[in-house]
Amino acid sequence: MAKENPQITQISQISADFFSASSAGSAVKKFGQKRVNLSGVGLLVGVFVVWETAVRLTDTPAYLFPAPTAVFRYLFSHLADLLLAGGVTLLEAVAGLVLGTAVGLALAVLITFWQQLEQGVMSLAILLKSTPIIAIAPILTIWLGFGPAPKVIVTALLTFFPVLINALTGFRSVDGALLDWLRSLNATPQEIFLQARWPGARPYLFAALRVVGPLALIGAVVAEWMGASSGLGRAMWLAYTNLNMPALFAAVFVLTGVSTAVYQTIVWLEKRFLFWE
Amino acid sequence: MNSLDIRVSELSHRYGRTHALQAIDLHIQPGEFVSLVGVSGCGKSTLMRLIAGLQTATEGGVWLNGQPPAAARAAKQIGWMAQQAALLPWRTVRQNVQLAQTINPQPGANTPNPDELLKMVGLSDFADAYPLTLSGGMQQRAALARTLATGTAVWLMDEPFAALDELTRELLAEELLQIWRQFRPTVLWITHNLHEAIRLSDRVVVLTPRPGAIAGEIAVPLPRPRDDTSAAFQALLRQARALLRQEVVHG
Repeated sequence: MAKENPQITQISQISADFFSASSAGSAVKKFGQKRVNLSGVGLLVGVFVVWETAVRLTDTPAYLFPAPTAVFRYLFSHLADLLLAGGVTLLEAVAGLVLGTAVGLALAVLITFWQQLEQGVMSLAILLKSTPIIAIAPILTIWLGFGPAPKVIVTALLTFFPVLINALTGFRSVDGALLDWLRSLNATPQEIFLQARWPGARPYLFAALRVVGPLALIGAVVAEWMGASSGLGRAMWLAYTNLNMPALFAAVFVLTGVSTAVYQTIVWLEKRFLFWE
Repeated sequence: MNSLDIRVSELSHRYGRTHALQAIDLHIQPGEFVSLVGVSGCGKSTLMRLIAGLQTATEGGVWLNGQPPAAARAAKQIGWMAQQAALLPWRTVRQNVQLAQTINPQPGANTPNPDELLKMVGLSDFADAYPLTLSGGMQQRAALARTLATGTAVWLMDEPFAALDELTRELLAEELLQIWRQFRPTVLWITHNLHEAIRLSDRVVVLTPRPGAIAGEIAVPLPRPRDDTSAAFQALLRQARALLRQEVVHG
């Protein structure tokens, strides 16, 4: 993170805070789902009311800071376009997430079976991870054009590392007593992997996915900023160059919605797959 | 079931500069129940790992029926139980028992029905439960069923009930003994509890503190079930305690 563009770091930090706050909320949910949902909605409405009032009282022009009503007016009048853009960005992010997760997992499996590869693979992975994504994105756009390919690759670059680290930690976290028992039966490394390491690593994998899911959308949007024929990043870029603040905010709202949906999907999958916890 | 004999000869082991075991000579007859007693850190668990071949000794050797431990492992003749039940939490109790049979499958081996094994250890009603929903005692019952699932000839048991409460521990030991009498595997039972050692085994081997060496052996010629209030039992207990104390104080 440290060497990446500070803006991205900030965004991902904010989204991490946002999502950790919502996951803390899910613990409270056990006491009453409705109450928490209502208080969440209430908080959001409260923010909008304060925001709206402040903008109206100070007579701030919409090109500097639009009121929520202006943003929503724009959002609903361009709903189809924004949803389409959101869909494009979501697809790019999910494709990149799948690719990044697959690469991270494959590398972790490789290192688990052939430990002598660890230093080489990890050096390369750290090198890739440390190269600022904001510098790679334009290069990829020049090479691969305005289509989805550079977005998918940027997202994959952003997501593979946390998956690699967590998967590796998970594969190695097998209980020593369990390992002894499996070895006493002469289990092969493959059997140990399939029966113990892989299922045991699932909590670690989901922890990585919770971080990486929202990050994937940031990756896709950043890549779109560098040049895209569609997507939320492009919508933001267009709004930015035209100083159309309601449009910019509307795109941010949609992005936040999509990001939350991705996160909640991961949480839902986690509950299904980690039933024993 | 054809149980194996265990022969440990001139076995020494070092971890770096730490001398864990010193010239262990031990012969356990097929079907014999031997307890290994010693204070914490005397190398009991190391000895068990060496016998199973999970580690290789720096000196000396281990033979199970004249073969190196790897052969017994390959033939799935070693039943392994430790203080932690080490069940797989994402598998039901029945699936955990079945796993012992699916790993390293032995063609033509007669594999007992998991449900019958669970009945034997009193877990019939919990076959479909997940391990983390069970008590520690029940988890160890499941681990015992799993040990039986491979039709093992040797049981290597490293304080399997040490983490349980006194009463559960006694009950489980009693049941284990009944199962042992039924199948007669060769048992190496590791414990730091002299009372338990004398109640269960045919022979108690006392280890010295580090480096672990054999301090002495006590045969337990009492018929089972054993009355721990009897004079003979108490005499053996005193004898074993004296041996252990002497070594600890001496060490």
